[in-house]
Amino acid sequence: MARSRPASSRWTLLLAFVVLVACLVAPGVSVKHENFKKCSQSGFCKRNRAFADEATTQASSWSSPYELDASTIRFENGQLEGVVIKTVSSNEKVRLPLTISFLESGVARVVVDEEKRTKGEIELRHDSQARKQRYNEAGQWALVGGLDLSQSALLSSEAEPGFTKITYGPDNKFQAIIHHAPFNVEFQRDGETHVQLNKKGYLNVEHWRPKVDLPEGEESVEDQSTWWEETFGGNTDSKPKGPESVGLDISFPGYSHVFGIPEHADSLSLKETRGGSGNHEEPYRMYNSDVFEYELNSPMTLYGAIPFMQAHRKDSTVGVFWLNAAETWVDIVKTKSSSNPLSLGVGSKTSTQTHWFSEAGQLDIFVFLGPTPREMSKTYGELTGYTQLPQQFAIAYHQCRWNYVTDEDVKEVDRKFDKYQIPYDVIWLDIEYTDGKKYFSWDPLTFPDPKGMEEQLDESERKLVVIIDPHIKNTNDNPVDQELQSKELGVKKKDNTLYEGWCWPGSSHWVDCFNPAAIKWWVNLFKYDNFKGTLPNVFIWNDMNEPSVFNGPETTMPKDNMHYGNWEHRDVHNVNGLTLVNATFNALVERKKGELQRPFILTRSFFAGAQRVSAMWTGDNQATWEHLAISLPMVLTNGVAGFPFAGADVGGFFNNPSKELLTRWYQTGIWYPFLRAHAHIDTRRREPYLVGDPYMGIISQALRLRYQLLPAWYTAFHEASVNGMPIVRPQYYVHPNDENGFAIDDQLYLGSTGLLTKPVVQEGATSVEIYLADDEKYYDYFDYTIYQGAGKKHTVPAPLEKVPVLMQGGHIIPRRDRPRRSSGLMKWDPYTLVIVLDKNGEADGSLYVDDGETFDFERGGYIFRRFRFGENTLTSEDIGTTGPKTAGYLKTMAGVHVEKIVVVNAPSTWHDRTSVTVMEDGAKSATTASLQYFAQPAGKAAYAIVKNPDVAIGKAWKIDF
Amino acid sequence: MILPHSQLLLLSLAAGSTVLAASNDGAARPRGVGPEFAKFYKDTTTFSCISNPAIKIPFSAVNDDFCDCPDGSDEPGTSACSYISSQSALTVAERPGHDEIELKASLPGFYCKNKGHKPAYIPFQRVNDGVCDYSICCDGSDEWAHVGGTKCEDRCKEIGKAWRKQDEQRQKSLTAALRKKKELLVDAGRQQKEVEDHIERLEMELKGEELKVSQLEQDLEEIQKQESRKVVKSKKKGKVNVLAQLAKERVEELRNALIDVRKERDETRSRVKELEEILAKFKVEYNPNFNDEGVKRAVRSWEEYAAREDTENQDGNAAFDRDLDEISKADSGATGIDWDKWENEEGGHESDIIYQLAAYLPPSIVAFLEDKFISAKTFLEKNGILAEAEGEASSEPKAVAEARDRLKAAQGDLKKIQKTLDEHRSDLETDYGTASIFRALKDVCISKDSGEYEYEHCFLDKTRQKPKKGGSTALMGKFVRISTVSADELNEAGELVQVEKLALEYANGQSCWNGPARSTTVILECGEENEILKVMEDEKCVYSMLATSPAACVGGEAEGNVAPRQKDEL
Repeated sequence: MARSRPASSRWTLLLAFVVLVACLVAPGVSVKHENFKKCSQSGFCKRNRAFADEATTQASSWSSPYELDASTIRFENGQLEGVVIKTVSSNEKVRLPLTISFLESGVARVVVDEEKRTKGEIELRHDSQARKQRYNEAGQWALVGGLDLSQSALLSSEAEPGFTKITYGPDNKFQAIIHHAPFNVEFQRDGETHVQLNKKGYLNVEHWRPKVDLPEGEESVEDQSTWWEETFGGNTDSKPKGPESVGLDISFPGYSHVFGIPEHADSLSLKETRGGSGNHEEPYRMYNSDVFEYELNSPMTLYGAIPFMQAHRKDSTVGVFWLNAAETWVDIVKTKSSSNPLSLGVGSKTSTQTHWFSEAGQLDIFVFLGPTPREMSKTYGELTGYTQLPQQFAIAYHQCRWNYVTDEDVKEVDRKFDKYQIPYDVIWLDIEYTDGKKYFSWDPLTFPDPKGMEEQLDESERKLVVIIDPHIKNTNDNPVDQELQSKELGVKKKDNTLYEGWCWPGSSHWVDCFNPAAIKWWVNLFKYDNFKGTLPNVFIWNDMNEPSVFNGPETTMPKDNMHYGNWEHRDVHNVNGLTLVNATFNALVERKKGELQRPFILTRSFFAGAQRVSAMWTGDNQATWEHLAISLPMVLTNGVAGFPFAGADVGGFFNNPSKELLTRWYQTGIWYPFLRAHAHIDTRRREPYLVGDPYMGIISQALRLRYQLLPAWYTAFHEASVNGMPIVRPQYYVHPNDENGFAIDDQLYLGSTGLLTKPVVQEGATSVEIYLADDEKYYDYFDYTIYQGAGKKHTVPAPLEKVPVLMQGGHIIPRRDRPRRSSGLMKWDPYTLVIVLDKNGEADGSLYVDDGETFDFERGGYIFRRFRFGENTLTSEDIGTTGPKTAGYLKTMAGVHVEKIVVVNAPSTWHDRTSVTVMEDGAKSATTASLQYFAQPAGKAAYAIVKNPDVAIGKAWKIDF
Repeated sequence: MILPHSQLLLLSLAAGSTVLAASNDGAARPRGVGPEFAKFYKDTTTFSCISNPAIKIPFSAVNDDFCDCPDGSDEPGTSACSYISSQSALTVAERPGHDEIELKASLPGFYCKNKGHKPAYIPFQRVNDGVCDYSICCDGSDEWAHVGGTKCEDRCKEIGKAWRKQDEQRQKSLTAALRKKKELLVDAGRQQKEVEDHIERLEMELKGEELKVSQLEQDLEEIQKQESRKVVKSKKKGKVNVLAQLAKERVEELRNALIDVRKERDETRSRVKELEEILAKFKVEYNPNFNDEGVKRAVRSWEEYAAREDTENQDGNAAFDRDLDEISKADSGATGIDWDKWENEEGGHESDIIYQLAAYLPPSIVAFLEDKFISAKTFLEKNGILAEAEGEASSEPKAVAEARDRLKAAQGDLKKIQKTLDEHRSDLETDYGTASIFRALKDVCISKDSGEYEYEHCFLDKTRQKPKKGGSTALMGKFVRISTVSADELNEAGELVQVEKLALEYANGQSCWNGPARSTTVILECGEENEILKVMEDEKCVYSMLATSPAACVGGEAEGNVAPRQKDEL
């Protein structure tokens, strides 16, 4: 053996080399960079970065050429108006109307427009029919409320000359200090600046200018190479409005972490983007794109965009929402500054400067002063809306594949799940179900009987989701396309004729859901009478809505395409996906007169506000451990950005996962708010019952764990639907004062349940290191092993068959323990309450229940209870609001009881107790239920079980221990 | 529809206190208990968990809708213990005080009496879930709690009747299937016998033919001896002339072959060129955003190919072609060989001939011959364009030639017989299944319309897929072997059990675009007809067909698993 070693090590070396070379040339695993723009290939990105560099280079001698004309300032009813003057040259000044609105919610909105464009006093090139104004309708899609102006905001009379000060917000503790020249705004809370606009002087509103053709030989003083036509990848953008970008620096003094601005395959805590070790070279980009085989740890754009950012530090969270639907980039730089030059790093603080710029549109920013993540979610949600409370099935397990090939195939998969007793709620159909990729049709050969298939699914309360994309096949035998053409409901080219591009069906047209007439038409297409073969248990998947255009620039539409109202595609690109989902949502609410139910739509592309109407997933990922790992920060980031109904394809879309990877992915996926397995058409089938022992059993356990916890999940969704809180929460949301946890993005809490999990995302791992921020006791979910110790990591065993999840002391977790075929069939099952006592022997939790289908909950048709345990008493208290549907709903739920109460960390004094006293509201006398105490070996918490307390879930009751 | 609370309470009380459900088979059993488990529920004061008898609970805890036993046996009539399964994520509180015990259900499910039909066990997870599972529980007894107002009427009468009718049909069909199987067996046996007989016959023939051949060999030797003496004497021309004539014929032959091969080469080249043009165009025009891995791989391979071509571009082509042009011309004095001269040359030493011949050849041809001839010839031969040169001269005395022909013919016959014999022997050794039953089905083809395709299965031959929308038929596999597959099936008690099924494997079918070569496993079940029930694509281009055939029925073989001779032996 020994002698053969040198040889074998040589072989190893050689092998390593071969592997290395193979890796370098390995095809098909990385994105096609040449298809997507780098900042240097995007004219306005290049210009704004150059502008910032210029300002930085000149440092103190730099003066931003923007000035608020004090004579124009008006303040009335919580709104300040004025005109910012941009000095281009001594004899050229541009008037930029400014509006700062101080909202009742404590949010301030700053809008800067351009007078000449607003008034239409400009000329467009190429005889363009485009609107001359800067796009100002993004709010129509993104915003739904929270715009009430503050009546208490006050123009301060104490301002020095050159300043305007306004106090606003709760108890008028917020203050906006507006510097007139150069124009910049500081936002203060309690006298301290938290957000500052144009501190660095990067404000840049590219005013309209005519193209001057200089005589030959003469050169312009300015670099105009990116002002007019821009060509990329063989496509030329005619840019009839010339350069029109808006840019601004936004500083967060004293904040070292910023979060949000999805969608990127990157860490939760955003990285710096101006190079340097561990930093990105490129700014974070938001330009919704179908990025094939996207790469990880990258600021590259993906399918959706939410230009909302939170900055967080100990004791404070603030943020900004950059309301702009055009292509947007964000540079992030962090600087360390010492407050006292003599203290040499001690007390030095990190500040974050961000630089935002969009290609077109108004400059429109909302500034939030927190001060907590919870406040951020709430106020952001007041503006853009909260997550739609989904139907119950939507948060259960979805089984998808490209493609289940026939209706019989679907029925067979359905039967197999039952045969192996694995729960699932929804089965999905990708594009192949259609007749030749014509949406709203079924392939007559492979899906001859869709209704029969849907009826079988309905027998166990299961649903079907079918894909409907915005590209409409351009053929004579497609009546949908014929209508789109005759009614002129498609997106148009720059010359105002119908745009034609390529997608799945080949030549296609795109429905323009900016057009009210198109929405109306689209809504009609989904009526059961029109979309033949659909029953009420059919829901919709809107894919490719970036829009994805196979032969378009950057796989999307030309920017000079025209939408309804003559807005250029460049103006509206990022909101385009949302408009489709919005139309589909309107369609699904009522597909038959009088038959209302909550829609379910999955979207790939999104913008701020999409949470109101859809769930999202992270698009076409790959079956690798790295993709599994990145799914956690991606899902968490979406939650931070107000769109928490998110998930990644379980198993990985491209390629075949190993059985271990698939199993771990299920164990991770059960913590995604949106839980769906999906696979590419070229992959092997991987439904959980196909993977064999022991994997099938382990996957089934994971799915049953998700189903067991559905009451907790639904309660978390309810919370998101009323206050915008993420459904799965990162460390900094739950422990906003623990600085060590701010960047942690591989573990998460489920809602307010205190359930903390750190999924295994590494091959071969047998344990995980879970970080605990607080000194509370945490208990292993399964065996009640105790973990305690703040600010450090604890090793939690996680062999393949185990999902590492802990319960934080102090919570009451509602569960339903009986496995059923689908969540719909759990409707009448009893509850189990797990009371996890904290250090003081107390616990608290809540439960929200409704019919899981209709809108009755909006009229009181729900149960909302708060459970509290303290001083040896457990109470259930109604925290809902009664409405016309309350009584009826309670009646249907009267038979649904609590079957079991588990008290984790039960006091040892209970060891000889055998019963508890139960008092239910309305009962004549108290009853008793049996209590059993179980001691455990050292290191594990003792527990007690109350058997059948026989209290209704919808009633008030009290149990004395 | 919805029961008021009080009524529901009453119901659950009824369930709780009167745990004994009435039944008319004498002994009262708790709800959901099957007769084979009745003995565990006899003691009406204390109940011992079936798998863990040390754990005792008051009998009132049986069917009280709360799971007490680690094996779930205390809740035969509710779903309270439905989580007792290795597929559930269980915590210590689900096995209080018994965390060392592996939780395993000891009851197969909820027992539905199904009076008027067959009793059955329904999985506990379906008890009181609001669905009338008539396919298992025709009496609706699984929904006894009427959750959410569910009412499941007793449908056993009609379901039982329909089932019995169907079962009768099934029995009939099975009998018929078995009869057909016997026919198949007899048929297979007969065919096998035929093969055996044939072998016997062939073996005899072979012996005879061998004798004949050795006789002819002797004859030939004899004649050759006689004739060799004559050859020297009767020779009219010198060896050189003979050789020259032969050489001329040979060169002519080679030249023609060369011309043909060049023509073929040129055609092939132009086709390659055309293909390359198509691919080059494809590379330029393909849409990289059509996320098709196959297309991308094809483009990459093309790029690699194109790069290789560039470096290997043969520069010598023109010169080589000129050489070939030269060679292709007919011989005359100026170019090539002056054959007339050689055919009439007299005398000379035979040993010089080659050198002399070379001297008369133009230098280009000499060089060419030296460099290329051998390799060219080998190439042509290898590719079957030229027959391999035969060792013997063609100008033999007639008698010898005739004798040789006779021998050759006899040898050919011998070979043929040997081949047929080998085929038959190997056929006899081939696995045709138990009692060689598939002998009777070999090459029988059945087909099935399914989705976009018509599928075809030819027993022990191949499987195919014909697209209905047009396009060519794809071979889904050629027969490889008879085997078995194990499938999970639910038994009478509703438990998953592994069942071995007869299967025919087909592999190495047409390759898939961007996938493996197609393969098919045909899983056979007993049935009256040879019929494809359904076709599934288990993974890309890996198919399975579920089919029925009498051949898959059990029984019918004669002792020793051989085919019976006649039907009445069965």
